[in-house]
Amino acid sequence: MANQLSCCNGIEISFDPHHALTTLKKVEGSLQAFPYRSVGELVRFENVGLRYGVGAETLTDVSFSIEPQSFQFLTGASGTGKTTLLRLIMQALKPTRGTVVLFGQDTSLLEKDGLTALRRRMGIVFQDFRLLDHLTTYENVALPLKVQGRDEVTYRAEVTELLNWVGLGELIHAKPPILSGGEKQRASIARALVAQPELLLADEPTGNVDPSLARRLLRLFVEMNRSGTAILIATHDLGLMDQIDGARRLVLSDRRLYVETTDV
Amino acid sequence: MSEKRSLRYGIFGAIMRSIPLFGRDPLVAADQVTDRALVAVIAILTFLAALTASAAQLTAVTAMRWQVMMASEVTVQLKPQAGRSMDADIVRASDILRGTGGITSVKVLRREESAKLLEPWLGSASSIENLPIPRLITVQIDTHKPPDLTSVGKMLSNAVPGASLDDHRTWTKRLGHLSDLFLTTSFGALLLVVMTTGLTIVFATRGAMAGNREIIEVLHFIGADDRYIAGQFQSHFAVLGVRGGLLGGGAALLLVLALKLSIMFPDGLPFSGISEMPIPDWQTVFVTFGVIMLVGIVAGLASRITVYRTIGMLA
Repeated sequence: MANQLSCCNGIEISFDPHHALTTLKKVEGSLQAFPYRSVGELVRFENVGLRYGVGAETLTDVSFSIEPQSFQFLTGASGTGKTTLLRLIMQALKPTRGTVVLFGQDTSLLEKDGLTALRRRMGIVFQDFRLLDHLTTYENVALPLKVQGRDEVTYRAEVTELLNWVGLGELIHAKPPILSGGEKQRASIARALVAQPELLLADEPTGNVDPSLARRLLRLFVEMNRSGTAILIATHDLGLMDQIDGARRLVLSDRRLYVETTDV
Repeated sequence: MSEKRSLRYGIFGAIMRSIPLFGRDPLVAADQVTDRALVAVIAILTFLAALTASAAQLTAVTAMRWQVMMASEVTVQLKPQAGRSMDADIVRASDILRGTGGITSVKVLRREESAKLLEPWLGSASSIENLPIPRLITVQIDTHKPPDLTSVGKMLSNAVPGASLDDHRTWTKRLGHLSDLFLTTSFGALLLVVMTTGLTIVFATRGAMAGNREIIEVLHFIGADDRYIAGQFQSHFAVLGVRGGLLGGGAALLLVLALKLSIMFPDGLPFSGISEMPIPDWQTVFVTFGVIMLVGIVAGLASRITVYRTIGMLA
């Protein structure tokens, strides 16, 4: 009983609850080092290494890139550095060595204002949602537009429509403490999408929800990808990854990143 | 939503948000307990600062008024001299004084009046009339064209043995010193109170920012720049500072006005000796307002500097 969805750039998305479990062996069979390209990339890592303190490197010689409008999963066992890699992309961490290029700009040369401008081109879904508890769902979702200095009149309808789209239309005045895990997750995704970013980073976006909701959330990402946003989802849920045919898989293992190529 | 927030923060919050600087929706979570404690501390400090400033202003004005009063009048004392007629000496001294430029009036105190001045020490017995009581002449000075009192004093003592001129200079000087001392002390106290207010705001801002570290991080990730985040915290603490300032300053203002009324109408009736009393006037009211403004400015500056420094550290 597989559901087929037409997706971005011809990629077929299949939802098959009976095919949810897939072993990593299948992925490992096609792992290979990534030959990066540099034209029009949103993200490019070149031999990036990261070390916390004076210990061994958490990530070693990580090289990869993310193309516009692409869809990829970042996977690996727990503790292999998925969140760390996302934090490097969102510039919450600076690499110990190597080069990180975002939207064509070397981040080591970035000033604060430049960093803010880059972050406005990204949407981030945090594993722990990071919603502001004292704001309503509407205010949380509208926050990226508000901090850009936009007048509420210009985005009120837009935000309301997005909230309806993610199924939170009845909860726009509710505050996060009374929302369920799934509702918080959807609000978090809506906040990441509201400014129509070029790149969306999602850290275990289905980690706290049941399989049915996970599929619905995945559809949100697919819809977003269809409208032109590149997606990077960090997950260790192989079933989730299997639901999208042709999505690239970046696999973290033994402190290194391997990129699985796919034939679309 | 905005109505709900208006209710949550009260009428004051609604008024403050109508002002452009404070009109933003609060992204900084209001911590009711901490915020109230901060407002209370600032209110108390402002109250003390406003009272100190008012007292200093009042002292300065009163001391100046008293100095002017003392400078506009001098006293000539004639001590009884053996073999000399006191009445003749009084006439001679009066003539000299009346003939001197810069003197507007000369009044000789009668013997009974001089005796009355000594009553507290000598009593009112009839024997006082037999005592050699010094006689006094009060002289009003034209303060715009005052005479050279030193030469007038010399002229008098040369012409009338036992005559001396008291220009109250010693008392005026002492009063001036006392007034200066009080003003300096008050200014120092005011400075300390304002500094304490600033430091209180600094610690509160720093604490709130450390407590809201996660919010700051999220704001950064969703594209807020430092200026925006700083503005949120700054306006939050500036509002608290101004609120505390208005409460404390308002209380001080009420006290000052009550004091003014109680002096002017001690028993519900106008007090006749009012011109010589230290009464709070409109200047005192302005000084109190000035202190409130000062507290607001210090609160705004302290929070701004702290916010930018702390954001730099958190980033």
